Amino acid sequence: MAALQLLVNGVALGAAYALVALGFVLVLNATSAVNFAQGDLVMAGGLLAVAAAPLIPLPGIVLLPVVLVLMAALGLLLALAAYLPLRRRPPVSVFISTIAVGIILQNGAAILFGPEPRAAPPLFGDDTLHIAGLAVPEQSLAIVAVAGLLIGAQQWVFARTQLGRRLRATAQDPEMARACGVPVTAMILVTFAIGTACAGAAGLLLANRYFVTPTSGGDLILKAYIAVTVGGWGSVPGAVVGALLIALFEVGVSSVLSYPVALGALYLTLLAILVLRPQGLFGEAVRRRG
Amino acid sequence: MRRALPLLIGLLAVSSCLSSAARADDTLSFPVLVPLTGFLSLEGTSQRNGAVLALKQTPAGIAIASEVVDTGTSPEAAVTALERAAGRGTVGAVAASMLGTQMLAMLPLAGELKLPLVTVSGTASITEQGNPWVFRFFPGDAVTKAAHARYVVEELGKRQPAVIYQTTAYGQSGKAHLDAAFEALGVTPVFEEGVDPAAKDLLPVLTKALAAKPDVLVLHLHSGPTALLLRQAASSGVTLPIVAGSAMHQPSTAALLEPAELKGVCAETAASPISGGTPEVKAFTDAYRAAFGKEPDAFALGQYDGMTMVLEAVKAGARSPDAIRKALSAETFQGLAMTYKSDGKGNMAHSAVIVCYDGASRVPVLVKRYDDPTLAAK
Repeated sequence: MAALQLLVNGVALGAAYALVALGFVLVLNATSAVNFAQGDLVMAGGLLAVAAAPLIPLPGIVLLPVVLVLMAALGLLLALAAYLPLRRRPPVSVFISTIAVGIILQNGAAILFGPEPRAAPPLFGDDTLHIAGLAVPEQSLAIVAVAGLLIGAQQWVFARTQLGRRLRATAQDPEMARACGVPVTAMILVTFAIGTACAGAAGLLLANRYFVTPTSGGDLILKAYIAVTVGGWGSVPGAVVGALLIALFEVGVSSVLSYPVALGALYLTLLAILVLRPQGLFGEAVRRRG
Repeated sequence: MRRALPLLIGLLAVSSCLSSAARADDTLSFPVLVPLTGFLSLEGTSQRNGAVLALKQTPAGIAIASEVVDTGTSPEAAVTALERAAGRGTVGAVAASMLGTQMLAMLPLAGELKLPLVTVSGTASITEQGNPWVFRFFPGDAVTKAAHARYVVEELGKRQPAVIYQTTAYGQSGKAHLDAAFEALGVTPVFEEGVDPAAKDLLPVLTKALAAKPDVLVLHLHSGPTALLLRQAASSGVTLPIVAGSAMHQPSTAALLEPAELKGVCAETAASPISGGTPEVKAFTDAYRAAFGKEPDAFALGQYDGMTMVLEAVKAGARSPDAIRKALSAETFQGLAMTYKSDGKGNMAHSAVIVCYDGASRVPVLVKRYDDPTLAAK
């Protein structure tokens, strides 16, 4: 019974991590640049939800669209300020600029909100459901449902719409896409907007159960990076699987071994994957581009 | 641009000289060098606020100057801040970082510059360096963990504690002192495990702790993880008593939880100003709220008491860092949190309290006071 309860918690955590990793990998594909601000954008989304909660005293599910829109706007700003001016420079310039954006977000949040941990409102309710001896927080179920919905919607947009085809074309080969008439710069802006909106959604989902502080983004970018490396550099399904794997170690393995040992086991697994399957679990996209 | 650069350098030099000259009179400076950003920013902000509030009590006839510098979390930044502060006028004493690694880095320089460092750092080793310039106005782990263990064993009558601690230096030190205190009381924990502060879900460690059949949960975690574990314990229907570490007493920790989730939870701490007490503590709490719009915690009160003792020494005639050091070393001071007296190593605080939540409010009630619990345990 305890194992089932841990599974629910692990899937909920993995679903939220998947949104973080998804935003990271979308920008990576569209720009070939690592967005080191992704963790701090998650933090910003969480604190945005905290700030908006008193203004919109309704459940978090009502706040979610507001957070998505505002974070998408922040993503556009991020692209305009930290990516587009540097796109012709070596990739390291973009790495540095996104690190700078992350630090600015951290310090801005510390000034605006203070250092105290804060909790965002729950998506629906804060109660715990007792089902056949299981104590399942409503928020855990809501996280799984909302994250699944957002990931599914994103997959549908990418697979079934003209916008999605243009976004994929930009991600796969920007020069060819431009030659075919795809507005590449606009598509990059849209990608940043979607990726940052994903970060905002993850921030709202995580900030209720796990709280948010101005410094909480640093840990999340590391997890996103590991998820993408494990899943396959550039692979969207790989990022989701990688995120779930991290949660499995954090919740599942640590329930058998201790948390520090589980963390060590996660990094050993990462090393093993890098040695035995350097392209990651779903690494085909990278091979095609090479 | 070539002409402007020397002009700019000249202006900076002149303004620097003027600034130094302005402070070259009888003004005593009390720099506040604390971590306002990084992982200790919550506690560092409390420390800053306590120092700043104390320094508003300017003794009559003496000019006091103060500046606040964020030391972040790196030892280098703290040392640089101390060097810079020492170069600006006559420094009486420094309100110094509560981060142990920063204190350890600053101590040799403080000895060289002969500047008293007044801190609320809990790191035991800072007062074990044989450095006469450090004064700690917060009980170390030897005191607080002795009180923690004694409350569990002597007051609650529990003998099968499950200890969950943080894997950071703070957590390891607390765990080591808890082990020693429980051993002195003839109790062996049935479960002990460390968790990383980045751990998002604490249900695994909670499940394992409960499987060991404890009669009490003993926590030594940072603020966020304390709230996270208490929330998960409440939602899992855990009815065991929980005695947490000092992070629980911080109002910002309680603010993350519903009052019902706090029912039956107790915590050790140096003080809990929001719990009331004397009229002076209430006046401090009111002044703190008015100045910063926040609730004060034990770190703020400890630093307030420390800087107030420094100012009392100045009022009594101490006009140099060495005179202030001698006063801090020799005098007894009745602060708001407790009576402070150096043990010869710079440890000024020797008391701890236990506070408990009733499940109806986020303001804890003081239930037990331990004065010198380590010596009493011996």
